[in-house]
Amino acid sequence: MENTEKKVKFFDKVKENEYYQRWIKSPLTYVAAAMLLAIFQIITLASTGNPWGVSGVFAYWGAWIYEAIGGNVDKWYYFASSGAQSTLDAGFMNHAGTWRNLGIIFGALATTLLASGFKIKKIKTKRQIVAAILGGLLMGYGARIAYGCNIGALFSGIASLSLSGWVFALGMFGGAIVGSKLLVKYFM
Amino acid sequence: MKEVVLDCFGEACPVPLVKAQNKLAELEVGDVLIVQIDHSCAMKNLPEWATKDGHNVEVEEVDDGEWEVIIEKTK
Amino acid sequence: MAEEKTVSRRSSSASRKKPKKNQIPFGVTLVAIILVIGIALGTKSPTLALFWVTGICFGAILQKGRFCFTASMRDPYLTGGTSLTRAVLIAFAITTLGFAAIKYGYAAQGLPMPGMSYVVPVSFATVIGAFIFGIGMVIAGGCASGTLMRVGEGFHMQLISLFFFTVGSLWGAHDFGWWKYHVISKGKAIFLPDVFGWAGAIAVQLAIIGLLYIAAEKYEEKRKAE
Repeated sequence: MENTEKKVKFFDKVKENEYYQRWIKSPLTYVAAAMLLAIFQIITLASTGNPWGVSGVFAYWGAWIYEAIGGNVDKWYYFASSGAQSTLDAGFMNHAGTWRNLGIIFGALATTLLASGFKIKKIKTKRQIVAAILGGLLMGYGARIAYGCNIGALFSGIASLSLSGWVFALGMFGGAIVGSKLLVKYFM
Repeated sequence: MKEVVLDCFGEACPVPLVKAQNKLAELEVGDVLIVQIDHSCAMKNLPEWATKDGHNVEVEEVDDGEWEVIIEKTK
Repeated sequence: MAEEKTVSRRSSSASRKKPKKNQIPFGVTLVAIILVIGIALGTKSPTLALFWVTGICFGAILQKGRFCFTASMRDPYLTGGTSLTRAVLIAFAITTLGFAAIKYGYAAQGLPMPGMSYVVPVSFATVIGAFIFGIGMVIAGGCASGTLMRVGEGFHMQLISLFFFTVGSLWGAHDFGWWKYHVISKGKAIFLPDVFGWAGAIAVQLAIIGLLYIAAEKYEEKRKAE
């Protein structure tokens, strides 16, 4: 009992500590974050042979869920390649991209907790649910037909000196403007 | 010298910022707008915008993961 | 004025008095769990551990930097702010150099370049897909990486959008054959060094990024003056 009390006091002291405040608590600047992301992008290409991607993984998540409820995607063009088939067969736990996406969730959770800033944000209004459903579907479908999301198609595309990255940027910028108008009009 | 509290808990970007902009436009010079947020990104972009816009801004962490951005309208 | 503000602050925060719970111990525990998972994955396959660790780093950087690709595209129009847009451009510039160096290294030795599967055909599907992706991310309040990060921050709304992102991905994958046959196959993948040469491609791309950076800065000043 006494021990836990001491521990709590220790962490309360940490909270007041100047270096904790400066290094753990306060946010990074946008430019610092941009540089770190760039460095990790380069590390990712150098160590895995491919740049960073996020949304391709979601297609596999969808396929695993679909197969769990009795569906079959083997005949779909998207999953027809032998590479996609072996990824599907190996399963969720052996999929590297899945672990990277889970890592993003847990990494963000860890820094939030270390900064003592975690809070469950509940749904406040129905329009938030509608926005989340609609936005999620649009992102998912869009990312598949455009070969990726803001990471795989935009960030990694441009970094790979691919024209597709710039075209994606233009389309995404136009979509963001339309999305902003819709958001202000219907979802606020 | 009014003081208005704007509840933006549970709202993700850019909702708090747009709501704050609209509300601030309604207020008179010298009034104070208190925006309550729990989105860590808004904790950065809201003060950034208000400072650039020339208002007096203060951020206070009221609780874990909850902030109040206090904006005094100056123009 | 300053005094009045102090009063107002006290009154508004005193109304919701909750005991402040220190979350740092949970954070430290979670870091330990992350390490244990990393080691467990590493014994299975070093690749899984590598992806896990880089994922953790990406998530931590995004969260600590409050980095948001959605805002970088949305704020210029919505609020006139371009600080995130410019940060994203900086990330593009640095990665361009790093990627080019790696790719050139392989190409110079006559080896196949890594990551060329990300140089994809440019077609009408790229524009449409990116456009509806752009609409979706603004409405849902987070792009692909931002949605994951916000799930980690405790947003229920992004948990819903993550699920429907997955559903939408499956739907897109289902229709992909149609798009591929009717639209994508009419496009061509263009690798800029094939067009401008290595030095030219890097120069052109960095020049575009630089011009966009200047334009973003000027645009923000103009919007502020209005």
